[in-house]
Amino acid sequence: MTITGEIRSSKRRSGPPRLKITSLEVLCGILVLALLFQSRLVDLLDVPKLRTASTVFVAICVQAMPFLVLGVLISGAIAAFVPASALRRLLPSKTALAVPVAGVAGIALPGCECASVPVAKRLMQQGVAPAVALTFLLAAPAVNPIVLVSTAVAFNDTPMMVVARFVGSLLTAMVMGWLWVRFGKMEWIAERALARLGDHSGQNKWAVFAESARHDLVDAGGFLVLGGLFAATFKTFVPVAWMQTLGGQIVLGVIVMAFLAVILALCSEADAFVAVAFSALPLLPRLVFLVVGPAVDVKLIALQAGAFGKSFAFRFAPATFVVAILCGVVTGVVLL
Amino acid sequence: MRRETQNILLVLLGGALLKISFSGLYLRYVQKSLLPLLIAAGVTMIGLALFAIIRDIRRGKAADDGHEHSHSSRSTWLMLLPVLAVFLISPPALGGDVVNSAADTNQTQRSRNLLGNLPSGDVIPLSMTEFVTRTAWDESGTLDGRRVKLTGFLLRADGATYVARLAISCCAADARPLKVRVTGDVPALPDEQWVEVTGQVVPKSANEKNSWVPSFTVESFTAVAEPVEPYES
Repeated sequence: MTITGEIRSSKRRSGPPRLKITSLEVLCGILVLALLFQSRLVDLLDVPKLRTASTVFVAICVQAMPFLVLGVLISGAIAAFVPASALRRLLPSKTALAVPVAGVAGIALPGCECASVPVAKRLMQQGVAPAVALTFLLAAPAVNPIVLVSTAVAFNDTPMMVVARFVGSLLTAMVMGWLWVRFGKMEWIAERALARLGDHSGQNKWAVFAESARHDLVDAGGFLVLGGLFAATFKTFVPVAWMQTLGGQIVLGVIVMAFLAVILALCSEADAFVAVAFSALPLLPRLVFLVVGPAVDVKLIALQAGAFGKSFAFRFAPATFVVAILCGVVTGVVLL
Repeated sequence: MRRETQNILLVLLGGALLKISFSGLYLRYVQKSLLPLLIAAGVTMIGLALFAIIRDIRRGKAADDGHEHSHSSRSTWLMLLPVLAVFLISPPALGGDVVNSAADTNQTQRSRNLLGNLPSGDVIPLSMTEFVTRTAWDESGTLDGRRVKLTGFLLRADGATYVARLAISCCAADARPLKVRVTGDVPALPDEQWVEVTGQVVPKSANEKNSWVPSFTVESFTAVAEPVEPYES
């Protein structure tokens, strides 16, 4: 009683009543509730399927976080240390020519798809043409050396798979870039993604670096977790056992493997090991799996929706999906 | 979401990463080689948050207090989920559920360096991966008549008993199941109990029809604690 009285009186003293509950109080509330009901929560999750799903969820988040952190650090560094004019000088002035350059530049970012989203967004903010930034976004997770080496290790019997994956993914990224040059509309991309940074000339560069990295991390982290939730749910509850029966049907195999790449949301450094395990399938569907996976999956769609807005992600992801399947099939038919 | 709350979330998430790194629990979720990256990520997150907090305190108030970033505020809350999962639930390593529902059991690859001669000795400890690979690919029968020790967890399905283990290449989401059918004197241990089994392979027991699951005649069974590294890599 006395406590409420005190609060009321202090309110009155501080002028107009401000009963605003901020996120800080909500956070504390959630934490206290979670602690109170911890054992109830643990019991609730003590079903084999849910246990599996929660482990896979934590695994995906834990696995992806370091790469997201790497991505936001690079993004922050670009914001602080690379002036927009330097980027413009580095890239060919004609967008259609800059697209392949961006694709090949993807080789230099040794991470998986989580790292490339914040970097691509930052490139756009620094005045790089969206088509170029998007090509980089699609190419980087698939053509970097770590991914190629792990593919070579997984497919040690068929070295052409590495070449096919490289060509297929690079082709996908460049075709998407050129498609954007031709058909893309700026208004699909959320304004916040394109908003130039304010003038930092007076500020300490390291402060700009840390603040940009922190802001990007907070922005993208939630979407990464959302993608992890989807992937863990699909992985646990979609029965994959029937896929072994697809063996001979190549068209069906390609389509199913493409969808599987989207819903499993595997890290591009690990997907080759999973693809190699589908030994009942011919190489072509497995190549499509490797080309589609790094370009479009549920985790990536969530990250893109967060970075560039929903209306962008819902156009870009399906288009990438179709282009990646076509590029994968064409490359596979020619090379494998 | 307010800037202060974001910073607290970052500290919590970074703390969660550091917690699983230093307690060794990260091995339930990811490969051993990710450890340095995990620690670096945790430290960076906490560092970025502390930098912002200290800066705000020095300036007397949060830089963009008031204009809450409406677009990011709701999704950022999701960052709390892995924090709660790690600190409160601490999900166990994957086990029998994954093995039972998997379609790709015992899909191994022929690899030349794995199929050399076995070391000499009375009992040879082998990883499940190597054992299953040899039973599937090694035509010369190097395993026949040799006493082998395997480590895995027990699993009963369709009236048979198996010793199973999962192998990962990156994180638990890409786990591949390996299993060996055990015959002989199987003690009444619960499912998912970790065991060390010593025995011999039944020659030519792995074939395409039983999806390359070899049979194993057990001579001795020892219940053991879950290994620090629950997965093979």
